Amino acid sequence: MTDHRLAWILLAPALAVLGGLTVYPALWVLWLSFQYRVPVFSISRWAGLDHYAFLAVDTRFWNAAWVTGVFTGCSVALECGLGLAMALALRGQSRGRRVALALLLLAWALPSVVTAKMFEWLYHPAGGLVNFLVGGRTINWLGDPDLALPALIAADVWRATPFVTLLCFARLLTIPADLYEAAQVDGAAGLQAFARITWPLVRPILLVALLFRTLDALRAFDIMFVLTGGGPAGATETLTVYAYRALFQTLQMGFGSAIGVVVFAFVMVVAVAYLWVINRQDQTA
Amino acid sequence: MARRPARAVLLVPLLLLALTAGGCGERAGSGALVTLVFKHAKILGPADPLPGLLRRFEARHPGVRVQSEALTWSSDEQHQFYVINLEGGSPPFDVMMLDLIWVPEFARAGWILDLTPFVPAAERDAHFPTAIEPAVQGGRLWALPWFMNVGLLYYRRDLLAKYGFTPPETYEALAAQVRRIRAGEGDPRLDGYLWQGKQYEGGMVNVLEALWANGARLLDDVGRPFPERERARESLAFLRGLIESGVSPAWVTAADEELTRRPFGDGRAIFLRNWPYALDLFELPDSRVRGKVGVAPLPRLRHGPVGAASTGGAHLAVSARTRHRTLAVDLTCFLTSEAAQRAMTEGAALRPSRPSLYQDAALVARDPSLPALLGLMEKGRPRPITPYYLMLSTTLQPEFSAVLVGRKSPDQAIRDGTAQVEHLLRAITP
Amino acid sequence: MRASRVRDGLVLLALAGYAAPFFWQAMTSLRPDTELLPLTHLWPTRLTLSHYDVVFRQSLMPRALVNSLGIALLSTLLAVGLGALAAYALARLPVRGRSLILLAMIAATAFPQIATVSPLYLLMRALGLRDTWLALILANGSFTLPLVTWLLAGFIREIPRALEEAAVVDGAGRLATLRWVVLPLAAPGIASAALLAFLFSWNEFLFAYSLTATEASRTVPVALALFPGVFEVPWGDIAAASLLASLPPILIVVGFQRYLVRGLLAGALRE
Repeated sequence: MTDHRLAWILLAPALAVLGGLTVYPALWVLWLSFQYRVPVFSISRWAGLDHYAFLAVDTRFWNAAWVTGVFTGCSVALECGLGLAMALALRGQSRGRRVALALLLLAWALPSVVTAKMFEWLYHPAGGLVNFLVGGRTINWLGDPDLALPALIAADVWRATPFVTLLCFARLLTIPADLYEAAQVDGAAGLQAFARITWPLVRPILLVALLFRTLDALRAFDIMFVLTGGGPAGATETLTVYAYRALFQTLQMGFGSAIGVVVFAFVMVVAVAYLWVINRQDQTA
Repeated sequence: MARRPARAVLLVPLLLLALTAGGCGERAGSGALVTLVFKHAKILGPADPLPGLLRRFEARHPGVRVQSEALTWSSDEQHQFYVINLEGGSPPFDVMMLDLIWVPEFARAGWILDLTPFVPAAERDAHFPTAIEPAVQGGRLWALPWFMNVGLLYYRRDLLAKYGFTPPETYEALAAQVRRIRAGEGDPRLDGYLWQGKQYEGGMVNVLEALWANGARLLDDVGRPFPERERARESLAFLRGLIESGVSPAWVTAADEELTRRPFGDGRAIFLRNWPYALDLFELPDSRVRGKVGVAPLPRLRHGPVGAASTGGAHLAVSARTRHRTLAVDLTCFLTSEAAQRAMTEGAALRPSRPSLYQDAALVARDPSLPALLGLMEKGRPRPITPYYLMLSTTLQPEFSAVLVGRKSPDQAIRDGTAQVEHLLRAITP
Repeated sequence: MRASRVRDGLVLLALAGYAAPFFWQAMTSLRPDTELLPLTHLWPTRLTLSHYDVVFRQSLMPRALVNSLGIALLSTLLAVGLGALAAYALARLPVRGRSLILLAMIAATAFPQIATVSPLYLLMRALGLRDTWLALILANGSFTLPLVTWLLAGFIREIPRALEEAAVVDGAGRLATLRWVVLPLAAPGIASAALLAFLFSWNEFLFAYSLTATEASRTVPVALALFPGVFEVPWGDIAAASLLASLPPILIVVGFQRYLVRGLLAGALRE
């Protein structure tokens, strides 16, 4: 048997599964988005671009897009800032590094439903630790439309920051100590050393972290679905939650699929944009 | 999904049996070993009567075991559970408890058995018409009422009496009473009027009641949204106004039934909109408002009637795919029978769907509020009876919620809601 | 040295503070119901196992734990099994359109679940697989397959070719080489990829929520999200259930940290 042939035999099962369960559904969702499809009532009709035309003027859709944008922007920015800071703090750690990483990665490894339930309880108006710590007030964190999104972002930041920390930390460890010693000889210490040595070396990996976190944040679903269900007053309804509600609560497979396609398009645009930035950076570096 | 034609061969003898039995479809068991699965929400109250009732049913049907399985607690999740199980599959249950607003949807989807042949007219008439109407779709009966709810205005009898007030007939009067009493009491912890404004079906109920109180409807006769747009706008503005003027605390926009029931039960509110279950809790021996609570019809706004309160409650239906059709129908009939509803009324914080029980001497002796509730139940209004109700409701909830918290003007919410509902209707009505 | 020891201690303390929400949940799971609502003092006056008792006796959690464990293990097996074969081909064999396949693999990892959940739902319904383990095994397995393949291809590339060539010289065929030389050498990498795949399946919610209906296939996150209660949410029971749901992630973070970190870094640094 030739290696060519063997290669395809080895690849075939994986490609078949991917084709059947990822590519085929992806094409199918596009097809569904051009239809009125309500399986519960046996409705299946061609809709053309109706769903997309409606989305263009649908205030709920634009609200969801805005919420998704705010959620993504804020949580990713906080995660990257906090993640880098924590990595810097961890760098000098000589003892207990394993314990430190375990404490850190725990937040990342927990199921997001657990995280959501945990924060729901922390935010509880009467029984939550948060209100207890702010002096026994009864702030309704998740019920107030101005507080719900920040509360949600805080939960996501808690969960995802360790990922950024880990990436930055791993990069920091590879920076040779003599670089800093040399800088010190030149009279650069503290912030200056950070700006001259640390930052340029960490920046590329931070960009990668940014890419991954942005893609994840755009696709986030579990945390808002379990924590707020998109409420109050749509203040935390992201595109994914809107899509889910259309698909499985109002049972409109066609319309919901159209929102899913839009999410897919957003994710792809962001991914391509980042890859372009990263590529350019590699070339100029 | 075509409905299966009813099996006439099976139905005729059953119908005869049903007629001779007086109630619906009750008969002795066949003796074969069978397990019926009954899905329902947990029954609350001093003594859960359900296990006893099921054992009684089993005693009458030798060889039959009824396995009762509890659903999750939120109505949305229950619905999700049913949809996923019933849609195109063979559900692992035979008899199910349904929120009455789902019956038309489940009937249209072909998930539940047509009960028309099993239920004689007299049995139908023994329930409140407002309880039977939501179970009728296309002229057929799809479910039987199990218990019944209606929106009530709870008020603090002691406080109203102290200031010489009678229960308000208009919301204007309610607001005036709140202001007067709060000024007189001087207690900053005493809230005015509590209701449910959270983004969920209960919030929808409160908005509907405000629409009706002003003579507005959600849908017209052909299903178009907001036929009385100006009145609907007034209703929404009124609800928001309750919060802006301080008659209702801002937190009602995140409140469900229990979150409003508790402060009122602690004596920290003058008025409360809630279902009848709260009455039992207010009259418990350790309740702080025991003996101080009255119930009245919901007030009206400018253009509507007094007491336009939404009905609620649960129906029992039989899965269209059950393998034990006759037994499942029997169980449904048994659990909704007068005897069973009597047991439910005695043991649980639930109200029957049969008017006769509201004047039953033994029951009234235990629960003196029953006769007063009778009139309110009869006046109750169903939420729009359409297979698409839940779709409409979940579509509109965020819009109404946005008005209540002040993120959208009533006008804007009605415009946006109309656009979404029309898009939804385009899909389901060609 | 003294100063650095103090500093190390402070950082650890700060990290313990970071994990506080989890410890709080753990304490809630042991707190008696009467001390939950309202919260009047930080430390409970006594501890109780009653919430765990409720979870084990009256909830669907035990069944969900079995489902989750089975589904996560089998979907990991599926992803790693198919992924290892594909990765070997991509790393070592001449494949026309290799870069295209690799690009498609990256693109597939960026796929939003919400976009595929509706066709998957219709597909599983058509195949009669709704509410079965198999549906979730296929869904989770295919969702993690791109990442696993990508990781393993990287790890296999790191194995010196000379070792393989030596085996070929000894007369072993390609497949025998793969079985007896490559896979054992790639074992740490396989462990990393498997851990990530397992974690994903264990934590996955959207597919599980949409494709399951009953306790026959309901996984832990779904059981937790739908935890039943009457009137009030049973916070203590939920805390106990969420602690059980956290056991495998805790075990991985504590016991297999090295592999997890390696997998995470390799996964993020693919270029």
